[in-house]
Amino acid sequence: MEKHVIFYMMFIPSVILFLGGMVLRLSIYLQGTVKGAEDATAGRKMLVLLGRAWGAFRARPVWYAKVLVQDVIFHRKLLRQSFYRWLAHTLLVFGFVATFAVDMVKGFTTGYLAEWSRSIPAFSFAHAFETGGVRPYLDFFLEFFSFLILVGCVLAMTRRFILRPSQLRTEEEDVVTLLFILFLEVSGFFIEAYRIAHPEVTAARVYMANFTPESANNACSFVGYVLSPFLRNITLNANLLWYLHVVPSLVWFVYIPHSKLLHIFTSSVTVFIDRSGGAAREGAGAAKTSA
Amino acid sequence: MNLGRLSPKQLLEIDACTRCGDCLKLCPVYSQRGEEAINPRGKIRAMKKFIRSQHGLWAKIFGPKRLSEEQLKKFSDMVYRCTLCGECGLGCPVSIDSRNLWLALREVLVDQGYFPQQAGTLMTNVLREHNILGQENTWRTEWLESMRDVPEHRYQKERAEVVFFVGCVSAYFPMVYKVTQSFVEILNRANVDFTLLGAEEWCCGFPLIGAGMRTGAQELIQHNLEKVREKGAQRVVFACPSCYHTWHEEYNTELPLHHATQFIPELIREGKIQFREEKVRVTYHDPCDLGRGSGLYEPPREILRAMPGVELVEMADHAEHCKCCGGGGNLEMVDSELSAALAREKIKQIQATGTSTVVTACQQCVRTIMTTARREKIPIKAFSITEFVLKQMK
Repeated sequence: MEKHVIFYMMFIPSVILFLGGMVLRLSIYLQGTVKGAEDATAGRKMLVLLGRAWGAFRARPVWYAKVLVQDVIFHRKLLRQSFYRWLAHTLLVFGFVATFAVDMVKGFTTGYLAEWSRSIPAFSFAHAFETGGVRPYLDFFLEFFSFLILVGCVLAMTRRFILRPSQLRTEEEDVVTLLFILFLEVSGFFIEAYRIAHPEVTAARVYMANFTPESANNACSFVGYVLSPFLRNITLNANLLWYLHVVPSLVWFVYIPHSKLLHIFTSSVTVFIDRSGGAAREGAGAAKTSA
Repeated sequence: MNLGRLSPKQLLEIDACTRCGDCLKLCPVYSQRGEEAINPRGKIRAMKKFIRSQHGLWAKIFGPKRLSEEQLKKFSDMVYRCTLCGECGLGCPVSIDSRNLWLALREVLVDQGYFPQQAGTLMTNVLREHNILGQENTWRTEWLESMRDVPEHRYQKERAEVVFFVGCVSAYFPMVYKVTQSFVEILNRANVDFTLLGAEEWCCGFPLIGAGMRTGAQELIQHNLEKVREKGAQRVVFACPSCYHTWHEEYNTELPLHHATQFIPELIREGKIQFREEKVRVTYHDPCDLGRGSGLYEPPREILRAMPGVELVEMADHAEHCKCCGGGGNLEMVDSELSAALAREKIKQIQATGTSTVVTACQQCVRTIMTTARREKIPIKAFSITEFVLKQMK
């Protein structure tokens, strides 16, 4: 069966399970009482909250964008507390956000737009992303951002398992989360190295073929490129390797709503609320004292 | 478990906690007890476990688990052993508004019937007699008896520009009568047109909110608002940071609210208060509800700096990092030993500044620090800022 089909047969249920998990979490949050909509249904509460959030955002979009960059992605507060933790956290967060963004661009342009360009010439620019001048940059940055995640993960593991500051308590969930990330990164680099070491894998389109055309400059995938000489004399089942990377990636995705990884979403919201609440409180306080 | 006592934001905050443990370094209670379950991370973890056992994926598939009495009792013991100082929230990397979260958790526990017996007594006292001690509310102005030259109206005028809302602690505890007496004296000498509510002043509601019994506070809030309105006041002043904070957060009023530390600088600027010169070294303790709770760090320091000869020496932990004295969050009522242990730590910090005089802006802090100091025969003096201002006035 064609790899895209297989992938989507796994990906679509994963997305459904992920969304199901998120809906479950959301349904718990909506059991809380919303001021001004105390007796509302969960759906109504959601609408009220979204309305308030939209109203707040519309009033000062630039300020919210600044908070997103400074406080959510680059976590200023953590930087003030510990450079080491900030570095590990930022490498992980920025690495994931950037990898996701590049992967989306790469997947959409090479997987869809390039295909559609056959019937819609306007999309022919997508060939630059598939085999043209943009391609090396896509490959390089995808590798680079994934490498940042790996470094962040190693730093986090070093702190948790070797430095072991007294405030940390390591639980099963922490170990699972870090090992998951480590496995995804290492397996990703490994299968890329294997592909580079074995050109027949690319030719046979064992992985999702149009993501890695034969013309690709393998040196751009620098980690895989460096590792590839070590794998030249080793023959493995490339199909199995692909599954060993893709299946855990999807399991990890489904695991997010039920794990501490959920804080990717929840803490972003708490930080936004805190910053906007702080600003509002300062205003209200000043008004009450000087009215 | 009724999650309706929490807001969606608070339920989200429970999931946002990554158990990083930054709060552990800041929690004064944890520094004394060292128990995982008593620290902010432990409490959030326990609550998360409860929520998942009742509403999580497993609960949806196999049905919710019944929470055992032992679990809830233990959780209640931990949640009520907290001064509500809010320092944990300040240091939280994901900005969890912990102080309000602890209040909401107490409400959940009250719903379940798991709260300290003393909190029940407190509620009865406040709802029946409208003060925390359950004494006659007409005794609220007993402290006037030991004042000289009290006018005929006993500072309870029909109408006045300013209402001075006294609060229960300095109205009923003789040890801190001076907080109120001094502020009245200052207002008098500065010719401020003010009045007290006298027996018509009811508890502000903070002790009930702090105990997780918010519903009971509504009647008190409405009453106090109405009585202040009847006086035709244009503003309300407070010497108690908790009353001030509660009015700010819970009372729906347009009236300007001032803590004494905000009001006194105004009088200084207007030249209505003038200080004599005296060489004295003091340190300042930031009350939790005034500092972290209301963001007022600078006004009390402004007052101290306005006093010629007064040298302010800051404690190692001051302003937003000031350690709680142990008097907050109804902790003294639930675990007086723990509260005293925190006060001892505070006294050590005061002594480390090389001065034996601490000024603060809260009657409860004065009471907590002085009770422990006297009990342990530690030679320090704690002044409320109103008392200290009056002492230094010309």
